[in-house]
Amino acid sequence: MTAVLTRAPGGVASGDLELAVMTTDDAPVANQNGADTKRLFEEQALPYMDQLYAAAMRMTRNPADAADLVQETFVKAFQAFGQYTQGTNLKAWLYRIQTNTFINNYRKNQRNPYQGTIDDLEDWQLGGAESVTQSQSTRSAEAEAIDHLPDSAVKDALQSIPEDFRLAVYFADVEGFSYQEIADIMKTPVGTVMSRLHRGRRMLRELLSEYAGERGIAVPAPTTRSKK
Amino acid sequence: MTDCGCEKAKAELEEYLHRELSDQDFQDITDHLDSCDDCSGEHLVGLTLTQKMQSACQEKAPDELRRAILARLESV
Repeated sequence: MTAVLTRAPGGVASGDLELAVMTTDDAPVANQNGADTKRLFEEQALPYMDQLYAAAMRMTRNPADAADLVQETFVKAFQAFGQYTQGTNLKAWLYRIQTNTFINNYRKNQRNPYQGTIDDLEDWQLGGAESVTQSQSTRSAEAEAIDHLPDSAVKDALQSIPEDFRLAVYFADVEGFSYQEIADIMKTPVGTVMSRLHRGRRMLRELLSEYAGERGIAVPAPTTRSKK
Repeated sequence: MTDCGCEKAKAELEEYLHRELSDQDFQDITDHLDSCDDCSGEHLVGLTLTQKMQSACQEKAPDELRRAILARLESV
């Protein structure tokens, strides 16, 4: 059996695996244990496909790119599987590869006017302000309004917030990663993760409340309008 | 007790929601939420936001993607 490490179409930046690959041996599966490795990989990693695809949809915002990204992620993960330490967090390891791949291969193709500066923007530039005083009844109304929104509104709102915020929120709220795991995945300090989460969630909340208000679902006390 | 606990609770609600607090802090906030409508209302909004995102973002990988990945793994 020959094990050929195929290069992905479009070229794979070697940096994509820098965290996943701890040693310099580049061909972990190129030996007679290949079949066992493949079986183990399929058994352990493939069950995360739906989750990785859902994350890829939020990253790339379209099904075709999401499918490419997930496929790329699995190929890279398989090639690096020899460096994965059994018993450690496989899900976080896979997400790290997918996030690196996304940032290196896809993000640069997308318009992202905020890139590189988003964490430095002041809150007022992001259109947010610390929450205004609300009464208990308007909070209940706000929670209920959010609860009744269609899924598409939630996804649209997620799509519209800056990418680094979106990823942090997605990793914490949807995937349930710890702040430290998110910091590892996004290669940022935990403090930055917390800031992105806080700001991202606040923007989402404002967008969803606005959306609910426009649809007449419920009109909680207005928070500060986001800058558009 | 002069401090009603709202300030601490409001500052830490997000970490509370994400289970990022020490056991002691977690308990403090839990106790506070039990007795404070204002903070528990705020927490409810945060919790609803999280749950809504979880339910809205479910996806199933397309069958053709599954097949394509298995085929790629065969050729790697």
